[in-house]
Amino acid sequence: MPAADLNGSAVALLSQKCQSCHGAQVQLSGLRLDTREAILHGGKQGPALTPGKPQDSLLFRVISGGEKVAMPPTGPLSPAEVTLLREWITAGAIWPTEAVGAKKWWSFEKVKPVKPPALADAWVRTPVDAFILQQLRAKGLSAAPEADRRTLIRRAMLDLHGLPPTSAEVAAFEKDPAPDAYEKLIDRLLASTRYGEKWGKNWLDLVRYGDTSGFEQDPYLLYAWRYRDYVIDSFNADKPYDRFVKEQLAGDEIYEEPAAQQGTGYYTVGPNRDMLFKVEDINRVETMTDFVDTTSSVFLGLTVGCARCHDHKYDPISQKDYFRLQAIFAPIVKSRVFLTYNLARQYDLQENTRQWKLYDLADEFQRMRAPYVKRLRAEKLAQLPKDIQVAFETEEEQRTPQQKAGFEMYAKKVAPRDDEVFALLSPDEKSMLDRVKTRLLSLYSNYAPGPFSPSVTDSGPLGPPVYMPGKESDEIPPGFLSALGGGDIPAPPPGSATTLRRKALAEWIASPDHPLTARVAVNRVWQAHFGRGLVATTSDFGARSTPPTHPELLEWLAGDFVAKGWSFKQLHRTLMLSSVYRQQTKPSPAALTKDPENQWLSHFTRRRLEAEEVRDAVLLSAGTLNPKMHGKPVVPALAAEELYGMSQPLGNAWVVTSDPTEHTRRSIYMISRRNFRMPLLEVFDRPEGVLSCARRESSTTPTQSLSLLNSDFTRNQALALAASSLRGDEAAISEAVFLSTLARRPDANELILAREFLTKQTQLLGSVEKAAAELARGLFNTNEFLYVD
Amino acid sequence: MYTSRRQFLSRAGQGFGLVALSGLMQENLLAATKAKRIIYLFMHGGVSHVDTFDPKPALAKYNGQPLPGSFGEGLVTSRIDFRKARMLASPWNFTRSGQSGIEISDLYPHVQKHADKLAVIRSCHGDAFDHAPAINLRTSGNQFPGRPSLGAWATYGLGSENKNLPSFVVMSDGAMKSGAGAYGSGFLPAAYQGTAFRSGQNPVLHLASPAGITPEAQKETLSLIDRMNRRHFATREEDSTLEARISSYELAYRMQSEAPDAVDLTKESAAAKALYGIDEPMTDDFGRKCLLARRLVERGVRFVQLYQGTNLGDDWDDAHLDLLGSHNKMAKKSDQPIAGLLTDLASRGLLDSTLVVWSSEFGRTPLAEGKNGRDHHPYGFTMWMAGAGIAGGRVLGSTDEFGLRAVEQRKDVHDVHATLLRLLGMDHLKLTYRYQSRDMRLTDVHGENEFTSWLMNA
Repeated sequence: MPAADLNGSAVALLSQKCQSCHGAQVQLSGLRLDTREAILHGGKQGPALTPGKPQDSLLFRVISGGEKVAMPPTGPLSPAEVTLLREWITAGAIWPTEAVGAKKWWSFEKVKPVKPPALADAWVRTPVDAFILQQLRAKGLSAAPEADRRTLIRRAMLDLHGLPPTSAEVAAFEKDPAPDAYEKLIDRLLASTRYGEKWGKNWLDLVRYGDTSGFEQDPYLLYAWRYRDYVIDSFNADKPYDRFVKEQLAGDEIYEEPAAQQGTGYYTVGPNRDMLFKVEDINRVETMTDFVDTTSSVFLGLTVGCARCHDHKYDPISQKDYFRLQAIFAPIVKSRVFLTYNLARQYDLQENTRQWKLYDLADEFQRMRAPYVKRLRAEKLAQLPKDIQVAFETEEEQRTPQQKAGFEMYAKKVAPRDDEVFALLSPDEKSMLDRVKTRLLSLYSNYAPGPFSPSVTDSGPLGPPVYMPGKESDEIPPGFLSALGGGDIPAPPPGSATTLRRKALAEWIASPDHPLTARVAVNRVWQAHFGRGLVATTSDFGARSTPPTHPELLEWLAGDFVAKGWSFKQLHRTLMLSSVYRQQTKPSPAALTKDPENQWLSHFTRRRLEAEEVRDAVLLSAGTLNPKMHGKPVVPALAAEELYGMSQPLGNAWVVTSDPTEHTRRSIYMISRRNFRMPLLEVFDRPEGVLSCARRESSTTPTQSLSLLNSDFTRNQALALAASSLRGDEAAISEAVFLSTLARRPDANELILAREFLTKQTQLLGSVEKAAAELARGLFNTNEFLYVD
Repeated sequence: MYTSRRQFLSRAGQGFGLVALSGLMQENLLAATKAKRIIYLFMHGGVSHVDTFDPKPALAKYNGQPLPGSFGEGLVTSRIDFRKARMLASPWNFTRSGQSGIEISDLYPHVQKHADKLAVIRSCHGDAFDHAPAINLRTSGNQFPGRPSLGAWATYGLGSENKNLPSFVVMSDGAMKSGAGAYGSGFLPAAYQGTAFRSGQNPVLHLASPAGITPEAQKETLSLIDRMNRRHFATREEDSTLEARISSYELAYRMQSEAPDAVDLTKESAAAKALYGIDEPMTDDFGRKCLLARRLVERGVRFVQLYQGTNLGDDWDDAHLDLLGSHNKMAKKSDQPIAGLLTDLASRGLLDSTLVVWSSEFGRTPLAEGKNGRDHHPYGFTMWMAGAGIAGGRVLGSTDEFGLRAVEQRKDVHDVHATLLRLLGMDHLKLTYRYQSRDMRLTDVHGENEFTSWLMNA
């Protein structure tokens, strides 16, 4: 291992395994292991380390079984980790920053040109295979055989579309005699617009997307979905990643086209409490923190958040660096992109006129209503007990507590309803009311979202000054992270409308020479296909990151990605055409003992369907999936018990979309409220959209099972599937339901099982249709349905 | 991923708690802590401290006058100006209660009888004066949503005592001003999320079989799933997550029978119900919640959080315009139920191992909003604890003479969280979860002023 890697990995290991008890916060036995001086100084037991001499170093003895006390208390280090620390101490226990300077951390170095190992092995189809096989051999492992075509198409479709194949698609692929049938499949899947819906979802997780802004009122971000559609379209167009980065960070400063400026919606779709208009300075601090933290972790794979309060303990990021970054975002103000200039102007004009007309319309309506309201209220009040009448007549501030209670109890009952008022109107007044209604309708009949997309710009060419907390005399200029060689960002040329700071940032990040950008991006795609990144901490490439399992492969992929024009679709091809990707999931006995986490990829890692995939797969199976793309978020009908927990009245917070065919669209188009996630998606680990989510949890809980088993959603979809499967006898029905859900026929045993099940359920439930729905409900809940082999 | 069965169980929050696994008990720690579970009574909307547990005679003395000198400088809230608003005397008397003589206002005649059990902390403070951020702060240690809640951390650390019920149960009337994130699991696995128990036959969402599906039919379908899953598993036996999912259906089935039983109050005696004020119009609702809480902790639920006042338009926050009406109503609704819970837990021997916590997201301004109202006030307010071996009948800390700022023994939310974890036998510095390469804690980098030893009188 090169010295820099050795030092970095050893210190990272200390930080992961030791510093929670021997670090800055806690020093058990008086020992700190977070700086070289502290280690040499030691704790109550004396110095912890003698450079060059592992056997004389207490630190090494306690981790290698040489002492009564064994560390860490949570369980021994792996042999590889013990070796790492031995080699590190032998080499002099050099702290990375002192040894080679902050810039020498591996991921801060430029991507190195790497050649794939030359391995003569028929298994090696692509360079990716060569890198993987080299490591497999080194670990004494061998690759698993290739999966069958049924498995491959299901895996590929869920990975690229987030939808399983239909039985017809499986059959066609199984029968395709072409030698390049698999390559054709991948190309076909990449060309489909379903691809952008799946990969758009992955990106939206990262940029903490939501359709409302959170907090008590949780108001709508009325146009956030334009950014969602922009992301979907960007993936479908295979927009080069460098361009995608620039559009999001500084589309307004770099590009003329409205479509490109839409990217800056990135800044606007996070949580915020601007709507409260109360605590501007807190909002501002939170917003700036969100911009700095989210941008660093999404685009750079760095967790800079620690440096907001103090110099980063592990990464060479100073507090000053943090505020240099913040100064880049400080001038941001929210804006909107006119997608079509003239239409947008027209829209604003119409809205303006409409409001003016509405004021008078409302006046007219109130004038007509007023006398009847007064009369009805008096009549209703007269029928109430005397003491309540007195309570109503008493001024609010003079009411006794009893009067208050009485008033509250009857206030609603006394208020006349519109229908009561309307019943009393004279014929003239009725026709007047009709005119009001007609005018109202004509004002609103074409009402729809305008041709706008949320965006940002700068408040002007000079940003507001940025200071470090407590050092208000020292203005911090905008600039990049020092450890990455970043300098200050110069002032914009005269006449510039904005500071051009974000442009500088975007061009710096999207540069082919940036050490992190391409590495971080390819690693995220790798994680999505193989279940774990080459660097497992996909949003952290700093000193606390997990060292890459295949450093050379990561270099090669990053280089290849840039060389091929930052194309995600090319990257998918590169990964998915490999033999590694085509392996079976069955681990060998050796793999189970030597590599239980499958980091060396001796087989494919099974995964559970993600929340949206579960819902979309059920809809697809039931034949109800509405493939419509884009547009306003859909609010599906939910049962009352599912809507529990909403912070606002349901009539405002859950306005069910009036067209029911919209309710069965793909999950990415369902509204994502920050205060309320659809229960089925929530239990399957859909993130909250508050913090950037780099990797979803994949939990297994009984509430998950309850939801997929008993929700109205499952039951209704099962009934829909049953209705279309009722041809022929029980065998035929069984076959139809299996084909729709599992995309295969039942085998002989399963057929017996299914037929018996249908007979029994028909007796219990009274109809074949209900029995068939139960078969479908059951199969939706099987592991075969819920996992990808 | 081939998680071991043990890992799965602890992740699913059913098996070995981390306390057992990794020795979170700090050596020199109070071996005396006895809390095995927490019942957290959250008064949603903001209870006035100066009208309940923190008497301020100066408010009566200077009633109607503005604050003297610069007392109001630096304090902000949404609706009043601290430099201009006038002091408002508490309309309630305070009574020295119990042997200890702790002063509790007459809003709480039943709770007064338990004064000697209460450790009252009068020096809580925070910096969020809107409901949602303040609730987030109290429940998760951060104003912003998205962090794991106290209950999630506690169950992550403790594991479960009853695998047929969730470990962290929440009861509210639904309309949380913060949204459900206040009992979310944040970046912890979803298994640690609070499960909302609703009133009625089916306390857990989707617990009931679909309409029209008889129990036998449901059993048939579950059996089909099980048989299909076992056939599938036969060729994939190395993957424990598949096995875990098979068990999750068994668990779901057992929950279908156990959860309705846990919430079935018909099994309680008339005397027990009367104790909690059940069937009385004002106290029925919160009384049922408190009695349910007792039934749940009896069955091994680790963390029960009850929210009072989460009906839209029926919460403590009506005190903006009507201090008198809102506090009379909300206190009346919860006083007897809370007292009943303390009595019941004590008589069943459960109070020794159950910590009862009472708090709100903030207090209310000692200054008037309008004629008879108080605004939100996070700068000094009160909470109390009882049970689990803590020494009651005592008061910690104080606010200034007008009840504005916590001055002595100031305790922020992190200090409270550190203390609660410690009472459960966990060190807040060591209860960590790696997220985005940081070892995240409930108390972030704070919690240095925990007050466990004061509570234990140690």
